[in-house]
Amino acid sequence: MSFTLEQFGVLSEKTLLFLFVLGKDGEIIASNSRCEILFPFDKNEIVGKYITDFMIDDDVSVFINSMSSLSDKTPLINKSFHFSSEKEGVLALKFDLTLHNNLVYATGIDTTKEYKEHKALLTISELTKTGAWYFNPRNDEMYWSKGCYLIKESDPSASITSKNGVSFYPEESSDQVKEYINRLIKDKKQYTCTEKIITEKGNEKWVKIVGQPIIYKNEVIYINGTMTDVTDRYNYIKKLKYSEETKQLALKGIQSGLFDYHVKEKEVFYSVDFKKMLGLPLDKDFVPEEEFIKMIHPDDVEKAIKRQQDNFNKKSKYYYNYYRIKHLNEGYRHYDIYGYIKKNKKGETIRMIGNLIDVHQKKINEKTIIESKNRLQAMVNNGFAYTVLLDTKGIILMTDEKSVKIIMRSYKIDPTKEKCRFIDVMPLNFKNSFAHEFNEALKGNTVKKEIERITHKGDLQWLEAKYTPILDHAKMVNSVLVSFHDITEQKLAEIAIKESHIKEQELNSLKSNILSNFSHEIRTPLNGIMTVSNLLLDEEKPEEREQLLIYLEESKNRLLDTINNLSNFSEIEAIKNNLNLKEYDINYTVETSYREYKHMAEAKKLVYQLELDHSCPQVRIDEDLFRSAVNNIIHNAIKYTNKGSITIRVSSKNSTNSKNNVYISVTDTGIGIDKENLKKIFDPFMQESFGLSRKYEGTGIGLSLSKRYIEILDGNIKVKSKVGKGTQFNIIIPKCQ
Amino acid sequence: MNVLYVEDNKINAMVMDKMLSKNDSHVIIAENGSQALKVVKEKTLDLILVDINLGLNQMDGCELLQRFKKLDILNNIPVFAVTAYAMPGDKQRFINIGFDNYFSKPVNFDKLLSVISKINTSFNKNQPD
Repeated sequence: MSFTLEQFGVLSEKTLLFLFVLGKDGEIIASNSRCEILFPFDKNEIVGKYITDFMIDDDVSVFINSMSSLSDKTPLINKSFHFSSEKEGVLALKFDLTLHNNLVYATGIDTTKEYKEHKALLTISELTKTGAWYFNPRNDEMYWSKGCYLIKESDPSASITSKNGVSFYPEESSDQVKEYINRLIKDKKQYTCTEKIITEKGNEKWVKIVGQPIIYKNEVIYINGTMTDVTDRYNYIKKLKYSEETKQLALKGIQSGLFDYHVKEKEVFYSVDFKKMLGLPLDKDFVPEEEFIKMIHPDDVEKAIKRQQDNFNKKSKYYYNYYRIKHLNEGYRHYDIYGYIKKNKKGETIRMIGNLIDVHQKKINEKTIIESKNRLQAMVNNGFAYTVLLDTKGIILMTDEKSVKIIMRSYKIDPTKEKCRFIDVMPLNFKNSFAHEFNEALKGNTVKKEIERITHKGDLQWLEAKYTPILDHAKMVNSVLVSFHDITEQKLAEIAIKESHIKEQELNSLKSNILSNFSHEIRTPLNGIMTVSNLLLDEEKPEEREQLLIYLEESKNRLLDTINNLSNFSEIEAIKNNLNLKEYDINYTVETSYREYKHMAEAKKLVYQLELDHSCPQVRIDEDLFRSAVNNIIHNAIKYTNKGSITIRVSSKNSTNSKNNVYISVTDTGIGIDKENLKKIFDPFMQESFGLSRKYEGTGIGLSLSKRYIEILDGNIKVKSKVGKGTQFNIIIPKCQ
Repeated sequence: MNVLYVEDNKINAMVMDKMLSKNDSHVIIAENGSQALKVVKEKTLDLILVDINLGLNQMDGCELLQRFKKLDILNNIPVFAVTAYAMPGDKQRFINIGFDNYFSKPVNFDKLLSVISKINTSFNKNQPD
């Protein structure tokens, strides 16, 4: 049943549809009141106006084309047009245009909202390079939004099937793409994937596809999806990944891990490498500060924290620290920590990002080097008396502590701290031969050389210097080891042996000399005695007999003297036990001795002088013993002096010693004694000349007895002499206590 | 016959003089080497007796012997060592030096006189008539 006119009138006026009756050229013949919002003027004035007067410019030609395409064959066209309305702005109306009796009946529905939505979506699609798609797996219907076409650089008017949709994917991934769809249908869950496509123009792009199932009665009836061009992002990520990987590999190479220390939050973030390095569980990103501190070696914690504070307090943004950290399984290892400090506006450290570098092997190596160096130094210190390692220019590379001490003492240079040449810091007498030996060693020869040095205490030290060339791997001399072996004891032993050998020889010759001397001294007077006796037997003249008896007497006396001397010498012990010590004025005693030999000196026409000192303190002596000691010396002086003077001096003063002892000197201008014999002057039976060249009478034990006597009296006797000039004996007797 | 005795010890010199004089020898005494060399040049001698130890700083008997040897005139005159050096080996040493004979002190005069008399005999034999 059709509408009545009234029903139709109500319907046309109350509807939200825009109703027009238009001429084929678009002239408005009639319109309902709904249309009035399109017109800027009164409804009555509308007649004669054209609908295109209110359309946006773009749509005018479209409208005209649409109108002209209306014919009896295609009497109905569905098309949207946009109008500019003063009241509403832009209005989007979707029209059904129906041709009837040369008039066009236009029915428009307001799609402004949808239009706006569409526009916005389009904008999003363009800006985000995203397209939307629709796929109905049941009838294989596929729809692409304009964005999809743009991404794929294909013609938007071309119809799309799922088959040619897949064709954009490279062969190797097309199955995978189909599989996404199949799984979605099966699982009824959204999927996301990023795949490579080749556009129609042949460009390579990366797209992110999201598929969302629409379900009706627990079955997927179609799929809505998006497709986004993520090529830029993909490339960026790829680059990022690559650079990250490069960095990771680089960091792996140096056994380092990244960390990010949030000071305020007291948390430490570790990179994966960091965690791997320390054997930490990989799932935890942050560790509280206090737990981290527990991982530091207890011996290092205090200093490490102190250094950390110093780092934070200083102005520089660079952080450096080092300590041992416990590896979960392997014990403690050494790490160096380099970081960058971030501070807030107040200057407080809020964050520190850095690298933890495993330097364990380095530390161990360093330690090993130090240990071996110490061991080497210990060997060097204890191996030889002195050891010096020189480079090829003679500069000290290494030496032992004793040598350092000596060099510092003598030259104020520490060769372990300053560069110095060995030749500049060695004793003078080493220098003569050093260059020669050193050059020999540089040629690759091992050289030995004995040298002497005087220690700072004044002792003589014998050293055997050994120059050993040290070769590098190319067999070139790169340094020379000079080791000094102390051979003092060995040398002293050699000397002692030599000396004792000489002494033995001397003793042997001394023994025969003693015998020879005694024999000679006894035989000489004996010759007189025997011959005289012989003569006396036959002599009858009284005056001749008298003379012979005098000769006999003199010879007897001389024989007795010789025998007395010998017995005195053997009786020293007895003398010691029978001392008759009394206090004496030394002047008196010396004067007595002086007088005793006066005639003898005068007989040789010598100047014979005595100088006394009456300020001398009294001395406690055995007078007989002292006198025979002095007598021997005076006698000796006269015996060895043929011209000049003998001076006997008593004094309480001595130029070098003011101890107020008593000094007696006997000075002659005689033949003197050479150095060698001066040493032996007090040896028993030693005489200045021996054997066949012995040129004076006497047993030769006189001086030896004098020395023994003076020493028994707690005194001392010394001699100095110059050959050809004379001799001086000095006797020191301590004053009475 | 003329005998030179070189001896620094006066007593020994005297007693030698007395002893040899009794046996028809004329003894000339020299106290040291230089005196002896003087005598040798001036006198005709038949025998020289030399003490070895002639005192301090003096030429000894051995040196004196060498000086004698340098003088041609002494070619045939015997020189005897008369010394108190009488240890084993001393005699050999002096003979080796060139002394014609050796007498230790105290002097065995029997022996000395017997040697002298032998020299005397040959001396007399060689005397031209």
